Amino acid sequence: MSEERKKILEMLSEGKINVEEAERLLSTLSEDTGTTPEDSGKNPRYLRIMIEPGPESENPDRVNIRVPLKLIRAGLKLASFIPKDAQGKVNEALHEKGIEADFSDIKPQNLDELVSQLNDLTVNIESKETVKVFCE
Amino acid sequence: MIPLTMRISVRKNTGRIFSLWLPLFLIWLVAIPVIILLSPLVLLMSLILWPTRKGKIILYFFPVFFSLVWCMSGLNIDIQTKSGTFYLNLL
Repeated sequence: MSEERKKILEMLSEGKINVEEAERLLSTLSEDTGTTPEDSGKNPRYLRIMIEPGPESENPDRVNIRVPLKLIRAGLKLASFIPKDAQGKVNEALHEKGIEADFSDIKPQNLDELVSQLNDLTVNIESKETVKVFCE
Repeated sequence: MIPLTMRISVRKNTGRIFSLWLPLFLIWLVAIPVIILLSPLVLLMSLILWPTRKGKIILYFFPVFFSLVWCMSGLNIDIQTKSGTFYLNLL
């Protein structure tokens, strides 16, 4: 959600503007940016990973990572250049960790589908630490 | 878009700080002409090595590598731990 859109909605919730005014402002904003409110969240550009300590957490570690989805796509393409011997070692290491995945199976035609599915990914874990993984 | 600046900062709780702001656009100004000048050489190398598998790898590696660099704009890593902090931002 853009900063301007957020501000308009905050003004509406505070009662500074009415619904008609908010709608008019949002449509003006959409005209300026060339998007409609419906599709503003459809094409996320970044994968965001956030880890924050909860109130009961003894661990103060914080992680805030924002990775462009295009970079993930390009990185997966680069992974196809990893020599087969090294790919075998990677697969072995993943197998030891209980992950049954073979990166040599990922073909370029599958990459777009794989990354596009990330758009709908949302992980929210709240325990001692709060872990959030989402696209924005 | 190609990243134009990079900011990297490492701070340890012992008091040691390493902070760097790198104007990547100045590096690209030098690197891009060099890459263009070297590209026929890379093409020639890949043609020579084509019978082995290396020629194909050389030919395909560079476009993929540059697309990776091109897409790095917007990357932001901010890690704060007990022992220190690490911050990387590419714009």
